[in-house]
Amino acid sequence: MFRLRLLAATAAMALATGIAGAQELVIGADVDAGTLDPRLARDTTAYRSVNLIYSGLVHLTSDLEPVPDLAESWESPDPKTLVFTLREGLTFSDGSALTAEDVVFTFETILNPDFSAPQRGLFTPIESVEAVDERTVRFNLASPYAPLLSYLDMGIVPSDYDGDLSTDPVGAGPMVLSNWSRGSEIVFSASDSYWAGAPAVKEVTLRIVGDNAARAQAFEAGDLDVIQSPLSPGDIKRLAADESFNSNLAAGLGVTYLNMNTSKPLLADPAMRRAFAMLVDQSTIVNAIYEGVDEVANSIILPSSWAYDASITQPTFDPEGAKAAFAELGWSDSDGDGVLDREGQKLSITLSTHSEDPNRIQAVEFLQATMQQAGIDAQVQISDWPSFSTGYVQKGEHEIALLGWLNIVDPDRLTYNQLTTGAGLNWGGYSNAEVDKLLEEGRTALDQDARTQAYQKAAAIIATEVPYYIISYQGYHLFYKKDMPADVTANPRGTFRGMIGMPG
Amino acid sequence: MTAYVIRRLLLFVPMAIGIVIVTFCLLLLIPGDPAAVLLGQEATPEAIATLRRTLGLDQPAYIQLFIYFGNVVQGDLGQSIFQNAPVSEIILGRIGATLELAIVALTMSAAIGITLGVIAAMRPGGIVDASAMVLAQLGISMPVYWLALLLMLAFAVMLGWLPAIGRGEPLLSAFGMAIAGNPAPLLDSLSHIALPAASLAVNSAAIISRLVRASMLEVLNEDFVRTARAKGVRRRQVIWKHALRNALLPVISVIGLRFGALLGGAILTETIFAWPGLGQLTIAAISQRDLPLIQGIVLTFAMIFATVTLIVDLLYAVVDPRIRLK
Repeated sequence: MFRLRLLAATAAMALATGIAGAQELVIGADVDAGTLDPRLARDTTAYRSVNLIYSGLVHLTSDLEPVPDLAESWESPDPKTLVFTLREGLTFSDGSALTAEDVVFTFETILNPDFSAPQRGLFTPIESVEAVDERTVRFNLASPYAPLLSYLDMGIVPSDYDGDLSTDPVGAGPMVLSNWSRGSEIVFSASDSYWAGAPAVKEVTLRIVGDNAARAQAFEAGDLDVIQSPLSPGDIKRLAADESFNSNLAAGLGVTYLNMNTSKPLLADPAMRRAFAMLVDQSTIVNAIYEGVDEVANSIILPSSWAYDASITQPTFDPEGAKAAFAELGWSDSDGDGVLDREGQKLSITLSTHSEDPNRIQAVEFLQATMQQAGIDAQVQISDWPSFSTGYVQKGEHEIALLGWLNIVDPDRLTYNQLTTGAGLNWGGYSNAEVDKLLEEGRTALDQDARTQAYQKAAAIIATEVPYYIISYQGYHLFYKKDMPADVTANPRGTFRGMIGMPG
Repeated sequence: MTAYVIRRLLLFVPMAIGIVIVTFCLLLLIPGDPAAVLLGQEATPEAIATLRRTLGLDQPAYIQLFIYFGNVVQGDLGQSIFQNAPVSEIILGRIGATLELAIVALTMSAAIGITLGVIAAMRPGGIVDASAMVLAQLGISMPVYWLALLLMLAFAVMLGWLPAIGRGEPLLSAFGMAIAGNPAPLLDSLSHIALPAASLAVNSAAIISRLVRASMLEVLNEDFVRTARAKGVRRRQVIWKHALRNALLPVISVIGLRFGALLGGAILTETIFAWPGLGQLTIAAISQRDLPLIQGIVLTFAMIFATVTLIVDLLYAVVDPRIRLK
């Protein structure tokens, strides 16, 4: 009898600890968050953390569709106005009420240039934001701006908070910060103030493991329950084949591309850029160097987008065609030294990328070899990310640079600021009046058909003039243990709401 | 002795000034703008210019340096650009983990290195000597990064004996708890530090063992050893007491220098094992061009190293009474 009771007690205890253990989740991250203020977030960990702590007017689903979050509904009385109605009785995690004033405050600070919000550029078409009443907010736009809804998952912050949101965050999201050991881990616990109720998972720990290989091993050793991109292709292959884990391999929201500097005399002629593009062996780069974890790209529109069109094509790998194209442009090996020349000048080009990503280095070196075989004096320049990006490409000093864009939730995000004449991110100085017009149309047109048309036309021109040569669509890879505490919805943006028992 | 220590401590000041200037110039030379890194790829040139003004980066370099010095003299290492917190606070929060790792690794490498070196020197040319030195050669040649991943694969992934990443309770407080009757945190801390400390220690242990062996062989040939042997002192005692104490003199200075190397090695080890110390912070700070933080870390590393050198010099006097510190 006694033994039986003991057994029952042990079983009950085991059950209790089992449940407690099941409500916690340890997720591996590659970098620490720089800040927990959603308006200042700039790294992936910060985006994903503030996505738990704060809520925006809308939530972006895994299909990138904006659905109501803090806003219960919205309407557009005219193309330049967007009116949101907030849910009733919203509160922040400190108990204070969330009203239209807080929404106004959030966006006014983002739009203030002195506040230095990294994403300010996405919101500049907003002329003003006003609180109509406690629960109604009106966005007045300078011109119609179709992508705006996709960016309004920006976390709303309290307007009258005395503390520092970057370290002591207060939001209206499903979780609250419970501990942050800088550089080591961020711990969140379920919030009871979220409008949709507390999430099923009670505690989430983000553990920072900087090294990709070490993060994968820590996952295999059971120290981490979840890991996701960035991971090295070798680890992705191995983990995907391992039956003891669940995996989700899907199209991501990023591209790897070549930025061709059209302001350099050598690359000013689209025919010249096309000839170089014909020397990019996409399939070898994607399938051999990236071991097939990414996808060969055909245009600047992502396959996950509603605007995608498989029939738009960029120049494809064709060394003979490139040779003919260069010959047509007057480049030939007149002195027989194996290097093409024109008017006594050798055909030299500098390919560049950054040193943090070994696959990108390999891709650039492979590209160099292909170009050298085609008689081009190709040089490679590799430096660390800050030197490469801010000290080189962003100053327009590059010739052909290999890099990437992330978070392309709308075609506008990869085109307007990058490729319209004189735009802030147009580092290669590309200018085409027709493309300008189409991209403007794409962001201002009201119905999706008109937007699709505009982006497809623009993408076709970009694919022929190649200021950008899109090498691959990046994959998004997620691995998680078998016994997760809640059903998992993978979100290509790598956010965690879909892992804590909430809509992903 | 006290006067000597004070004089040595005073020397820290010009050293620190030199280090600040050299680091500052190096940072000026590497391209990459913290304001642009902070704002990310999607920042416009105007936004970058505004932030540069806010951060004071638009000032001429010498003025920035001047301002920095002024603050350092007042004990203010500045504000981290990225973490939005005082540099001194960030470093203080991390330094314990790094010192703990380095000290444990140093103890491990000294214990292994000295034992291996002495054993090898006992019968030079013998099979034990040969195997010990092959082991040492392996240890010297193995890159820390590779070794760390290998150890993790073996002990965490395959055998599952030790945790792959992270740190437990700080060792000191875990010791306290163990004394108070709760040994669990200590065991947890030791299991966490085992892999990072071991991968960090291997290289130094190898170097120390080779040095101990050479030094021992030299000492064992000296007259006083022969005298001791002739007097009938037992072989074991001659080796471990008479000879080793004399052979350790050059080894101590190397062990001190190894401490510096361990701090450097910690940069890789900490990144792999997610050990929350200064090494990991260094990588992050450099890749973000967080200038005040880099300055602070370099200064801290330099101070630690200078202190260790001082301790080594003091130890010299203890080990060899013939040495007088003046």
